[in-house]
Amino acid sequence: MAANETTIKLDRVSKSFGEFTAVRELSLDVRAGRVFGLLGPNGAGKTTTIRMIVNITAPDSGTILLFGRHIDAGLQDRIGYLPEERGLYKKMRIGDQLRFFAEIKNMRGKEVDSKIDEWLARVKLSEWKNKRSMELSKGMQQKIQFITAVIHDPDLLILDEPFSGLDPVNVELLKEIVLDLKRAGKTIIFSTHQMEVAEKICDDICLLNRAQKVFEGSLREIKSSFGRNSIAVRCEGGDGVLDDPSLVSKLVRHADEAQALLAAGADAQTLLKRLIESGAVVGKFEMMEPSLNDIFITKVTEPA
Amino acid sequence: MKKFLTVLKREYIQRVRSKMFIVSTIVLPAVMSLFGIVPAIVLSIETPPMRVAVVDQTGKMYSPLTEALYGDADQQTPNVTPLDRRGLQRRFGRFALEQVNITGQPLDEVRASLEQRFQARDLDGYIILPPDFLSNPRAEFVNRNPGDPFSLGSLQAALNRATREQRLIDAKVDSKTRQELLKPVQLQGGKVGTSEQQRDPTGSFALVFVIGFVMYLAILMYGQIILGAVIEEKETRIAEILFSSVRPFTLMMGKLVGVSLVALTQLLIWALAFSAFALYGVNLLASRGISARIPGVPFSHYIYFGLFFLLGYFIYATIYALVGSMVTTAQEGGQLAMPIILILVVSFYLFLPVSRSPDSPFSFWVSMIPFSAPVAMVVRIVTQTPPFWQIALSLLIGFSSVLLIMWIASRIYRVGMLMYGKRASIPEAIRWARQA
Repeated sequence: MAANETTIKLDRVSKSFGEFTAVRELSLDVRAGRVFGLLGPNGAGKTTTIRMIVNITAPDSGTILLFGRHIDAGLQDRIGYLPEERGLYKKMRIGDQLRFFAEIKNMRGKEVDSKIDEWLARVKLSEWKNKRSMELSKGMQQKIQFITAVIHDPDLLILDEPFSGLDPVNVELLKEIVLDLKRAGKTIIFSTHQMEVAEKICDDICLLNRAQKVFEGSLREIKSSFGRNSIAVRCEGGDGVLDDPSLVSKLVRHADEAQALLAAGADAQTLLKRLIESGAVVGKFEMMEPSLNDIFITKVTEPA
Repeated sequence: MKKFLTVLKREYIQRVRSKMFIVSTIVLPAVMSLFGIVPAIVLSIETPPMRVAVVDQTGKMYSPLTEALYGDADQQTPNVTPLDRRGLQRRFGRFALEQVNITGQPLDEVRASLEQRFQARDLDGYIILPPDFLSNPRAEFVNRNPGDPFSLGSLQAALNRATREQRLIDAKVDSKTRQELLKPVQLQGGKVGTSEQQRDPTGSFALVFVIGFVMYLAILMYGQIILGAVIEEKETRIAEILFSSVRPFTLMMGKLVGVSLVALTQLLIWALAFSAFALYGVNLLASRGISARIPGVPFSHYIYFGLFFLLGYFIYATIYALVGSMVTTAQEGGQLAMPIILILVVSFYLFLPVSRSPDSPFSFWVSMIPFSAPVAMVVRIVTQTPPFWQIALSLLIGFSSVLLIMWIASRIYRVGMLMYGKRASIPEAIRWARQA
């Protein structure tokens, strides 16, 4: 698959349930071989958008092209989907369960066995193959659920809140797998409201709010468009300077440092100069890109 | 189709391998046979015979009464099966009769001495037949246990026979004529249009009953399981993953057929076990010189029976699936499923009016409505086989309804899932079914 090829193209897609509009006039381009973050607060329309892409529900208007074709049941087999609402058959053995999920995606034969063993080894659950899923801890079940989405080697992988409820070690493990899949040329849609995670793995993002797209583009572009107006400061004294509203519009104090957002018209050099003049001992003074979290909160709370 | 088979295979294998299945396959027949065996054992407990003294003031009744009680059962009831015959004999054998000599004693004295023996537990009861008993048949039976209806009943029946016989003797009717006069009536049913080979309609009715009963049993046992199977993906929250891979209709059909095959497997195991048992029983009877036959029914009827059994099973099973598509937990489903049983019972009892007039318009229509067709049509086939097109039409309507209900159920299921596990009210369910 060539770079920059479009895997998914949504063109003015709308979907409503009765009175409630879940998605309004949404257009998107998801490029092949990239991790696409579908971000937004709860109820923004992320899940409905995904369900239309995987052909669970049809849009009221607009078109969706997947791999350049209109979606149909056959294309479903090329998608791996890990919904936010997910579970396993409680009494089924893990091995049988994974085979079922592979077969339901039209994967047959010996290949299935080797894939099951391969993936179980990869998430370090090989010895659990013959256990029933009710015997597994919640975290282990999550990893099994992740395998159900990737076992049939899909070209497009859609993960809805894949890391919620996982411990940091397992988040790291799954994150590595996601990045490996990306390197293998798979397209990945990653839906979350955890911005720290999205920031680390997404190439492109789209922010949805109240059924509409707020912005879309590569993470780097978005960050640079917001400018470097955030400063991490660690100093002793100088409190009066940091509290001056003509210099700092917003100050967030963490344990041993503070994050200062420059006021309009103020510049970092002036702030540093004033701090030194006030006799403060400056340990750290760093100009920072805005975090995705900051952008998210700014955009979502912005009046429409 | 491959995905349908995948769903079906999972459903079937998971269930057949489960402990529940294995245990219920073994336990149910065990419980059933227990219900059959325990009463037989209880009934076969021998009790000592009831000692009854007979005060026969007519002077004629004692010997015909003993004859009627112990006498050749064949003469009284020529039509009983061997098992009944043994039972009758045992029942008659429950009495030990004794004639009281009353010559030259006033009745009061006789009564007093009997009462004494009764109190001393030398007797269990006594009967006093007055001198005019034959013209005015009222007698007294003093009994330790007046609440026992069986003893009273058998004695009364025996007295009845004895009195009838004695009256004829008194009327100077010779023994050959007496036998002729007392010969019991035999009414044999037959089917119009059947020539030499008289079919046995009672046997066919027994078959209809068995089919109806097994259908009822299968639906009662497996309806809830189908309901549970449909809800399973909702409760385990797997539905959304599956719907990204398989059409809801395929999923629902796979589940329905999968569970149904489990039901058929279980029924088949029981049927084989039962046939083996029955075959043993038949051989046992044959060794005693009694031939038991399978009711004489044409082979084509067995095919019809099979098809209508499947139809009956599936039409109710799909209703359970429909209920399952509307609810979120098995408990809710159980309540909603109650009316299904009611429809089933009503349809079952329709066999009565249908068997009375199998070719009436009423019978025609109930044998076309999918819910009542399985029983009604089978009754019609057994009694006055309707034209082939009617049977075919009934099957066509029935199985199309199964598919239609499943299609509706799958739509409700899918929309219900998108609505985040909300239970559907009936109007909502209708709206969801229409909605794409």
